[in-house]
Amino acid sequence: MSRFIVRRFLSVIPTLFIIVTLSFFLIRLAPGGPFSGEKKLPPEIMANIMRKYHMDEPLVNQYFRYIGDVLHFDLGPSYRYKDQTVNDLIGNAFPVSILLGTLALGTALVLGTIVGITSALKQNKWQDYAAMSVAVLGISVPAFVVGPILMLIFALKLKWLPTSGWLSSRAGALTLIMPIITLMMPYFAYIARMSRGSLIEVMRSDYVRTARAKGLKEGVVIRKHVLKGAMLPIVTYLGPAFSGIITGSVVVEQIFVIPGIGRIFVQSALNRDYTVIMGDVIVYSIILIAANFVVDILYGLLDPRISYK
Amino acid sequence: MPLNDKNNDRATNEFNQYVKPVSLWADAWKRLRRNKMAVLGMWIVGIYMVVTFGAALLPFKSYTEQEMLHINLPPSFKPAGVVALGQLEGRKADLEAAIVKSGRPDLKQDLERIENEIVQLKGEIDTDPKHKRVYILGTDYLGRDMLARTIYGGQISIMIGLIGTLTAAMIGIVLGSLGGYLGGWIDNLIGRFVDLMYSLPYMLVVIIIMSMLPTGSNSIFVLYIAIAMISWLTISRVVRGQIISLKNSEFVEAARSMGAGSGRIIFRHLLPNSLGIIIIYSTLQFPSFIMNESFLSFLGLGVSAPRASWGTLVSEGVQGMQLYPWRLLVPAVAMTVFLFAMNFLGDGLRDALDPQSKNRN
Repeated sequence: MSRFIVRRFLSVIPTLFIIVTLSFFLIRLAPGGPFSGEKKLPPEIMANIMRKYHMDEPLVNQYFRYIGDVLHFDLGPSYRYKDQTVNDLIGNAFPVSILLGTLALGTALVLGTIVGITSALKQNKWQDYAAMSVAVLGISVPAFVVGPILMLIFALKLKWLPTSGWLSSRAGALTLIMPIITLMMPYFAYIARMSRGSLIEVMRSDYVRTARAKGLKEGVVIRKHVLKGAMLPIVTYLGPAFSGIITGSVVVEQIFVIPGIGRIFVQSALNRDYTVIMGDVIVYSIILIAANFVVDILYGLLDPRISYK
Repeated sequence: MPLNDKNNDRATNEFNQYVKPVSLWADAWKRLRRNKMAVLGMWIVGIYMVVTFGAALLPFKSYTEQEMLHINLPPSFKPAGVVALGQLEGRKADLEAAIVKSGRPDLKQDLERIENEIVQLKGEIDTDPKHKRVYILGTDYLGRDMLARTIYGGQISIMIGLIGTLTAAMIGIVLGSLGGYLGGWIDNLIGRFVDLMYSLPYMLVVIIIMSMLPTGSNSIFVLYIAIAMISWLTISRVVRGQIISLKNSEFVEAARSMGAGSGRIIFRHLLPNSLGIIIIYSTLQFPSFIMNESFLSFLGLGVSAPRASWGTLVSEGVQGMQLYPWRLLVPAVAMTVFLFAMNFLGDGLRDALDPQSKNRN
């Protein structure tokens, strides 16, 4: 097990390296720079700015300089926000996005399994049909439709919830509700469908029949035998779900004006703020890789049939 | 029995009775037809296709024509002139009340402007045919017909979905079957590449590509290339798995023994047998293309004006949703219904073509 973890950990390094390289060259090859604004700068000033940010050097030198900095966890200065480094920007925004993402994933997981279990136990009854219709709705409606419509109903018409903002504003925790619902919808729906499907499959398996034949009560069979077996596919889904939620929060942060890394990402992409885009991509990749890593290990712990060599 | 006997293609069952053989496709079609939601989905998708792609032949209004007197009209079956007049008079009454109540002389100018517009509108209302138009779904902030805009937006969204799905399927089929059939270092190379692409934050890469484009370039084309370049991964994995499981089967052995080359085996024997699963994954991917495109357009990184996709329309609608909710709701509902239908159709196809699928739920 520990050897597996070490090996898996080492395999992350080339992936990260390739991601950094790819995003570096992709962005540098783009036409137009962070300083090519509406107002033309005098060439001398332009040259000075270029020198300050080492952008007059050959691309290869810039690349190695950047790799060296990244290895020291220094993501460089922001080209647009003169008084802030990328570390500052991302450092402030990161906890916001992570909090939003984990809350959404947690809610999706809890609600999704509850709904999935209910509809599996009431298979082909109205509860089942109702739950699964909601699930298809959750999968079909994109976040940028759910978010504004929630906002229109609950914030603008009914005035129950604040339209936007984040914890620090007066409304406090109430600001969390709509972003979390918007963000979790598709994942909640998927988890509900998956847990229903796998529960139905497990309930027909031999070991569950054995457990029933032993004379165990239905509740015990479900709790001790069915659920444990049925949860495995959901655990594998958590990796992709987490990465989906983290990327999905780009749009949710945009709608509800939440100061997270997704908002920074979109803004820096629109501003061509190179270092911020790259720093953001690196942070995102680390989150995704870490999520998959944790899921791989969890999977091994939950399923005794899997052994790591 | 002579080979060209007509009865030759009829099978017999264990009681030596003739039965009509059922092909995989006929069988799947039968199963699909029994699934009511999938049939409904198919009808809805079909209607959308006919309406959006036949829009040029149907009597819809122009989606680009702006009419300053018809700005932000609510959905109505009455002629535009009447609706606009009612709206202007309502606004005039509001303004008069505000001027009296809070004593703000600065609003006088607005009042004058509205009075002028009312006079202008009253003068034209019976003579100018444009005031006879009916906007059943209202108009947007430039006085453009929402119905026409939603239909043309759908055309772009569905187009991107179709082209993206086809491109992704093509790349995925070629690379997946190459890797699966040849194995060895080629398979390894493709596999590692797919792994790497999976660990990339995919939408973010597309966002970077979109933000790199010089303004005024043909963004729709680049958008679909950018999305398709990254979306073939799942299909290639699925095809690869299918090819590996089939390549040692007897019918492939038989083909090889008759001298068939790799190309013939892949394209005549292996791929037709993987077609079911390719169709399933493509249909399920189709809505996600539309969602991704609209996601980018929503962020302002997708389709650029004067063109509009559903995503652009939704994001325009969000801006005035408190006062003019139809501008958000019309494209949002149109898009949701289509995605809903696509998902039902995809699920139905999966159940029909792959009855033993583990993913059934």
